[in-house]
Formats: sequence, structure tokens, C-alpha cells
Amino acid sequence: MHLFHRQNLSILINRSKLTVCCIAVALLAAACDKVVDLDLETGTDQLVIEGNLTDENGLQYVKLSKSTAFANTNTYAAVSGAIVTLTDDSNKTYDLQETVAGTYVMEGYAGISGHTYTLQVGVEGKTYTAASSLPQKIWIEALAAKNRSIANTNNQQEITVSYHDPSVTVNQYNFLMYVNGVQVKSIFAYNDQLNDGNYITATLMQDDIDILSGDTVIVEMQCVDQAMYTYWHTLMQQDESNGTGVSSADPPNNISPTALGYFSAHTSERKVIIVP
Amino acid sequence: MRLSLTGILLTAVVSCFAQKKYTLSGSITDQATGEQLIGATVKILELPSVYTAANNYGYYVLLVPEGSYTVIITYVGFQTETLKVCLKEDQHLNISMTPGTEMKEVVVHAANADVGSPQMGLEKISMAQINAIPVMMGEKDILKTITLLPGIKSSGESNTGFYVRGGGSDQNLILLDEATVYNASHLYGFFSIFNTDAIKEISVLKGGIPAEYGGRLSSVVNVSMQEGNNQNFGVQGGIGLISSRLKLEGPLQKGKGSFMLSARRTYFDLFLKASADSSIRGSSLYFYDLNGKANYHFNDKNAVYISGYLGKDVLGLKDNFGTNWGNTTGTLRFNHLFSSRLFANTSLIYSNYKYTIESLSAASDFKATTKITDLNFKEDVQFTFDDAHTFKFGLNVLHHAITPGNISVSLSSVTTIEKRYGYESALYASDSWRPTSKLNLLYGLRLSSMLLRGPGTFKTYDAEGNSLTSDTYSSGANVKSYLNLEPRFSASYLLSTGSSLKLSYHRNTQNIHLLSNTNGGTPTDIYVMSSTNIKPEINDEISAGYFRSFRENNYEFSAELYYKQLQNQIDYKNGAELIANQDVESQLLYGSGRAYGLELFLKKKYGRFNGWLGYTLSKTERKFNEINDGNYFPASYDRRHDFSIAGIYKFNKSWTFSATFLYGTGNAVTYPTGKYNVGGLTTFSYSARNGYRMPATHRLDIGATLEGKAHRKYHSSWTFGVYNVYGNDNPYAITFRDSETLPNTTEAVQTSIFPDPMPSVTWNFKF
Repeated sequence: MHLFHRQNLSILINRSKLTVCCIAVALLAAACDKVVDLDLETGTDQLVIEGNLTDENGLQYVKLSKSTAFANTNTYAAVSGAIVTLTDDSNKTYDLQETVAGTYVMEGYAGISGHTYTLQVGVEGKTYTAASSLPQKIWIEALAAKNRSIANTNNQQEITVSYHDPSVTVNQYNFLMYVNGVQVKSIFAYNDQLNDGNYITATLMQDDIDILSGDTVIVEMQCVDQAMYTYWHTLMQQDESNGTGVSSADPPNNISPTALGYFSAHTSERKVIIVP
Repeated sequence: MRLSLTGILLTAVVSCFAQKKYTLSGSITDQATGEQLIGATVKILELPSVYTAANNYGYYVLLVPEGSYTVIITYVGFQTETLKVCLKEDQHLNISMTPGTEMKEVVVHAANADVGSPQMGLEKISMAQINAIPVMMGEKDILKTITLLPGIKSSGESNTGFYVRGGGSDQNLILLDEATVYNASHLYGFFSIFNTDAIKEISVLKGGIPAEYGGRLSSVVNVSMQEGNNQNFGVQGGIGLISSRLKLEGPLQKGKGSFMLSARRTYFDLFLKASADSSIRGSSLYFYDLNGKANYHFNDKNAVYISGYLGKDVLGLKDNFGTNWGNTTGTLRFNHLFSSRLFANTSLIYSNYKYTIESLSAASDFKATTKITDLNFKEDVQFTFDDAHTFKFGLNVLHHAITPGNISVSLSSVTTIEKRYGYESALYASDSWRPTSKLNLLYGLRLSSMLLRGPGTFKTYDAEGNSLTSDTYSSGANVKSYLNLEPRFSASYLLSTGSSLKLSYHRNTQNIHLLSNTNGGTPTDIYVMSSTNIKPEINDEISAGYFRSFRENNYEFSAELYYKQLQNQIDYKNGAELIANQDVESQLLYGSGRAYGLELFLKKKYGRFNGWLGYTLSKTERKFNEINDGNYFPASYDRRHDFSIAGIYKFNKSWTFSATFLYGTGNAVTYPTGKYNVGGLTTFSYSARNGYRMPATHRLDIGATLEGKAHRKYHSSWTFGVYNVYGNDNPYAITFRDSETLPNTTEAVQTSIFPDPMPSVTWNFKF
């Protein structure tokens, strides 16, 4: 059993720092969080490309939208009328059709592990290109729940996911978690740098949603390529540092010329657990 | 007539040259304890241009023509001594001073030697002031107190990390009895490792760094441990809100040798047991410090000192993980006087910093360790050539052994990041030259070398971080070497007896670099040496200043301007992985920096009311090709305005009151300018690096000390304090998230860690 990840190590270090703060503060004072008004630039809205290609036969989609100013509501203008194509290793090109405004799809297609795909988006007089390799598929061996190890006041649970990391190859994973149908606002991006070839049980540590007995939790496991790992890992680091460390910046992605978002060719598998 | 006048002049000149000079030398000590007083000033009343300050070992030497003189010795916190000396031959004169500050408001003090000294950027705070200044939770802290001085900025709310004149927190050389302290903080920066009970003296060089110091770009913080009372045995201690202290000291042989042992431990753990949270209940959280020192003076010519420090932080969360870290240092020193003019110090120094994190869970088993171990040999010689020249020269050989990461997971796999070995060596020489009675020069050269040695595999990387070359070296093979010549120069010109102009230039280099992408004191800090990828960091700094003492030397004013240019600075790629990464050097970016500023400082040194006022106007910028389109951007700790006041007022024999106030521009930070949705999550987009400012920080702290009634054998006192008196919400961090109250919107949240006034009380005793 290997429960160890470098990512968990850095999370632990961050958490231990927070724990010290919490304890010091709880003993002698009270830390306070308050919502503040900041005068933030509005900037120009940028193009956001979110492309996903999975190994599951079905609907593959690319979403095009515009970013918006921080002070606005979380509504993002759809970008319509783009020409979106996907090209595989053998230079075969597929057109994606715009169904809903800003969403471009192709049906009845599955990506294949070991193949590299190129996404091309022609919009607003520019052509954007992104390439991504679909990695070898690794299956979830088990999902389990255990008592949350930090700041547990109400028998909160945390979810562990087990899988067998293949040796020799470099593997990267991205997990998504849904509790009773609501996505957890945390990023779980791991690689095998310190546990290559082991049977791994990773704890999906988060404090967004309290998981309690009876909850239905879905975990999606994606095997992603190096560039996508860097993308998710950068966002995860910025999230974990809680504004006290890593300088925030747009994560490096595989799109050229510069645009926000990513194109990810990945495997996908979902498993469900009802927390005992 | 004309001829005879020339004749008289000639005779006068000849007789002047012919006049024999003798040395007046010895050590300056505290009469009550025998402690040597570093930096105490010795002056000759009849010869205004003849004065000196005791060196780091309390030794002074003056060259004076035959005659009868009045010798005046001054030291902050001690009564001024006046001695009559009739000098007919070289004379050894040990001076002991009586502690005590005068209650009278204005006392005549000898002219200020600091004004005439070419040394710039030197700050000292007496331990009496440090003990009187209010601090968080009543834990006296030399590092927090020095951040109240101009040019020295705290790295965060109640944090012991600091930045000097725009340099990084790893660019400060922190020395405890000459041993490098790598992580000077406890509990992630809330407290410093220096237990004030055990500390005799602290000085900070923030500029004009003389040739005997090297290895860090920005500052030298020199902390000396107490030697112990060589007259009487004593016990002192204190019981505070979070920790207790105990110190033992006494003579090994009265007047010849002494020892000091001091310990401090916190007791957060007791409070944890009261927690409602079961995971906190079974947890541990404490730190401790042990300081020890002993010395023996064989005679006036030979003395030996041995000192050591051991400190550790332990934090364990039940069934979860445990982490501990700490420094160990040891110093063995031998002082020898070859003659009254030739003083030598030989030191053998050990320094170690180690960090461990391990799983305490039954289900998993991992342990990660990082450490750095230094062995250092140092020889320093001071030679008083004549009354105009004092030479200093020496050498230094320092061996580093760094374990960047040793990670064991269960029984099966151990991942070891290769150890690194290297030598940092230096040769230096300097001359303190007084060409005229008004002009003082201090100039020197330091030759520093870095030698990275095998065994190990060493790679070079391209801009994307891919490995270009990989070479394996055997044990002891030379991998990479750097040689740097560092000129140092400073000068002072006396405008009048109480005022001077000073100018300095120095180049410093740094071959050991801290990799950390958090602000201040994370114990996982990783150290790397200059290598095929990392070049030595270089700082060229010029400063100019005006210094003045007035009102019979009771007040001191200084204005200093500085400009520094930094080369080969380090930043990190987006998403850099620094922990447990064999290819950590592939994660780095290299750039340059510049910093400039004005520091104003008004200090009242003596009297019932003493303290200071400091103001800094500064700008600190960095430049990396990969960040901000290659344009200069403000460093996160760039602080435009920084203002501080510290005041101590001795009301009567029983009560002393103190207060500090500080104001500082907020840190430069990167805030989002936009947002978008990917992977189902609200994600923020950013523009220029550090383009925004956190709100300004300001805070008032107050303190009071109540001295108990004097008993013959026993003395006690109470210290009271209130931190953040008017409860200002100083920002610790600002984060951005989906709103918790208004759906479909986002919000900015400011976290303040000590938003409320926080009282503290400590009881101290001594017998």
C-alpha cells in the first residue's frame, strides 16, 4: 500500500502551517476572514478554449467562450461561428459541429491510447492549434472512505482512490470528484515521480464539501499527458498556497498562439461510492 | 629669521616623527558578569582623533605617544568610565564597566565614535531595549525587533523572516557565534530561535559590508551568545504565556572562566489537550532551544571559547503526520595575542539544519528528510600597524553537504535525491586607514571561491527544462568552480566633531541559494549550491550617508541612500516542483534585480526616555525574461513607505513603559483581472506579475515592565504587553473564490491572523 504522493506532501506542509496558525490563533486570538472590495482592472475579455477528447465512445466536445472581468457574474459569452477540427495521427481530419452556441461536438468517436491529436480552432481571424497525446489507460481498482484526518469535528470522511501505477512509463493523473452531484472545487493532479510502479492509494484531500455517511460520491479518473499535468498541477499549487506563496499566473498550456484554456486528450473512468 | 622658522618647523616635524608611540590595549568587560563588551568605545580625551572600538572578542588596542591621558570608555547601557593613564611603555589595561543607565535626562557623553567610523549601514540594538520592546505573546525576539529599524523589513505579520534593502530572505547571513543559522525561525516564522536570555549582543550590517564577511548578498546579522558570569553563580528564568525559560551561569574559575546554559520550551501542547477536535487532542506542538557556552582565559594572551545551540520544532497531528525541524550549531574558538598589536582568532564551526516529515497513520508509511551540514574553518587576524593603519586579514574554508531529499515509502522504495558536496572558501584583507584626523577609510578585498564536487550526476537544462547533458562524477571530482573578487570600500569624512559624510561601495557574492516558493519560514526550504546551471548571485551596492550626533551625543541622526544591482537572481517557472525533485534546477528562472532607497533614522540613545524613529522610502524590482514580458516588476516585498517608532520610558524605579508603532506599504501581489470556467471550475486569469498592492499594514504594540522590590539575593519582574492595541485587521493573505453568499459571483477574501488586541504577561526571576 502506498499512500504517498509528492502532491500530498506539499499539501501536508501547507496544511501543517495552517494548523499551526489555527492552533496559535484559537488559543490566543481569532483569525478573521472578511470579504473585501478590490479595485481590479477589467482588462479585455480573452478567448477560452476548453477541448476534451476521451477514450470513451460518445460525444467529444470543444467549448469556446470569453473570459469576463472579476467583478461580473460568472457568465461567460459563448464564441460562435468558429471552425473547429480534430486531426488524428494518420492525418485524418474531423469537423466539429456547433450545436449549442459555443459548444462544438462530434459524436460516435473515441480517442485511442498512444495516439496524438491536434485541435484546430479558426475564430476571429486567427487559427489556434493544440496537440495532446492520449495516455495509456489505468483503471480505478477501488474507491473507499475513511475518517478525515485533519480538522475532523463531525466525522467527516475523505475519499481514497486506489490504482496500479505501471512501472517504467511516466504517468500523470487528474481526478474529479462529485458529492451528491456537485463538483468539488479542488484540483487533484498527481504524477508517479515518487511511487512509480506501485499500487497506490491516494487520498483526495479537500475542504470544499464535507462528506458524510450516506453521501454519493463519484470520482472520475483521467490519465493525462505531461503538458496537461503541468496545467492542472499549476492551478492546484496556486489553489493550495492560499495566497501566501506561489505567484499566481495563467498556467502554461498547449495552445498556440496564446489563449486561455487547454486541449486534453485523456482516458476517462468514473466510479461511484455511497459513503458507509 | 626665515631660515630659523623653517628650522623650528623642521625640528617640530622630526620630533613628532621621533616621538615614540606605545600601545594601550586590553579587554573591556562587564564588571558584574565578566562578559566582554563588543563594540565598547575607547577614547583619549586629550587626543580627539584617537579612539577605537572593542572588536568582536572585546579586545581593543590604541597607539598613543608617551604621556599622561584621560581615557574615556563608553558603552550603551553602562556607566561611562574615565581613567587616568600615564603611558611610558606598552600597557595592558583591562577595563570593567558598571551596568546601569543614568536617570538624569542629559548626561555629557564623549563624542560619538560611530559618526567618525567609516562603517555604514551598521545597526545595533541593546539587549536592554530588546527586552523592553513589546512583542507578540510576550516572547522577546531580536529578529522581530530589528525589523523596526529602517531598511529591514519583516516578511509578514508577526514573522521573523526579514528582507534587507530589497534583498531576499535567503540573502541574510545569520550568524550565531560565527555559525551560520539556516532557518532562524520556530513555528513557521512566528518566533525566532534566539532566546534572549542567552544573547549578549546583536548587530546588523545592512550595507558597507567589510571584507571579513561574505557568502550572502544583503546583510550580516551577528548574534553573540552570553559567556556567563565569571564572578558569581546565578539562576534566572521566566514563565510566559507560551514558554518558560531557565538560565544557569557561573564561574568555572573566578575571573578566568565561566559557563552559561540556557533553555526555553513552549507549552502549546497543554492547550491542545483541551481541544474539542479529537485529531488535535492527541497531537503535539512545541519547540525548544538550548544554548550553552563556556570560556576560559588562560592568561591575558590566550582564551578559549566553546559554544553550541540546539533547537527543534515538533509538530505532530495524531494518526496523520509528524514533522520536526531544527538547527544545531557548535563553535570552538581560540583567541591569541601574539603581541598587543597582533590579535588572532581561530574558529572551528559546525552548523546543521534538518527537516523531517513522516506519516503517523497506521495505513501508510513514509518519511522524507532534507538536511544541510556545514563544517567551517576560519582564521581572522587583526594587526595594528600604526596609529593610522589597522589591517585585518584571514581565510575561511567551508564544506557543505546537502541532502535535498531522502524519501522512504514503506519498506519497498526509497527515493533519494542525490546529495551534493562543495567547498566555499575565501581569503580577505582589509585596511582601516586614517590618513588625516577627519578622513577615515576602510578598504579591502575578498576573494571567494565555490567548488562543487562529486559524486553525483549533474545535468544541464534547456529553457523548457529538458535535460541537455548529463555527466557523472566520482567522489571528490571537481564539477564546477567559480572564483569572484569582491572589492569593499567605505570612507567617512568628519564635517565637525559630531557630524560626518560617508560613502561606500561593495560587491558581495552568494553561492548557496534557498529554493522556496512560499513567503518566509517554511521548514521545507531546499538549499542548492552554485552549479553548472546556477551562477553565483552578485550584488553591487553603493551607499552614501550623513551622520550626526547632537545634544551631547544623546541623539543620533542618520540619512543613508543606497542603490544595489543584483545579478543571477532566481525565480521559479509556473507550476515548479521544488520538493523532492532530482531535476529541481530545471524548474528555475534566472534574472536580475535592482533596489534603491532612502533611510532616515533618529535615535535617542540615553536617558529615561529613549528609542527611535525610522523611515524608509524604497523600491525593489526584479527582471526575468520569462516574467512580465521581460520588464522590471516589483518584488513581492517591495515596500514604498515604511515607518516605525519605538519608545521606552523609565517612569520610576519600578515601572518602565514602552510602545512601538509601525506602518508599511502592502506587499506587491498578483490579483486576477478576469475569470473563466474550465474543467467545471471557476478559474482566474492574471496580467502583470505583482501589479497590485495588499492593503497597508499598521499596528501599535504597548508594553510595561514592573520591577519587583529589590531583595538582597533575589529579584523578580513582570512584563505586560498588548499586541495590536487598536485591533487593526492587518492582511495576511487575500484569496479569490466563488462567493459563498451570492450565487454565480466571485469574491475576494482577506485573512487577518491577529485582528484583535492580544494581551500577554510574563514573570521573570533572577537569583
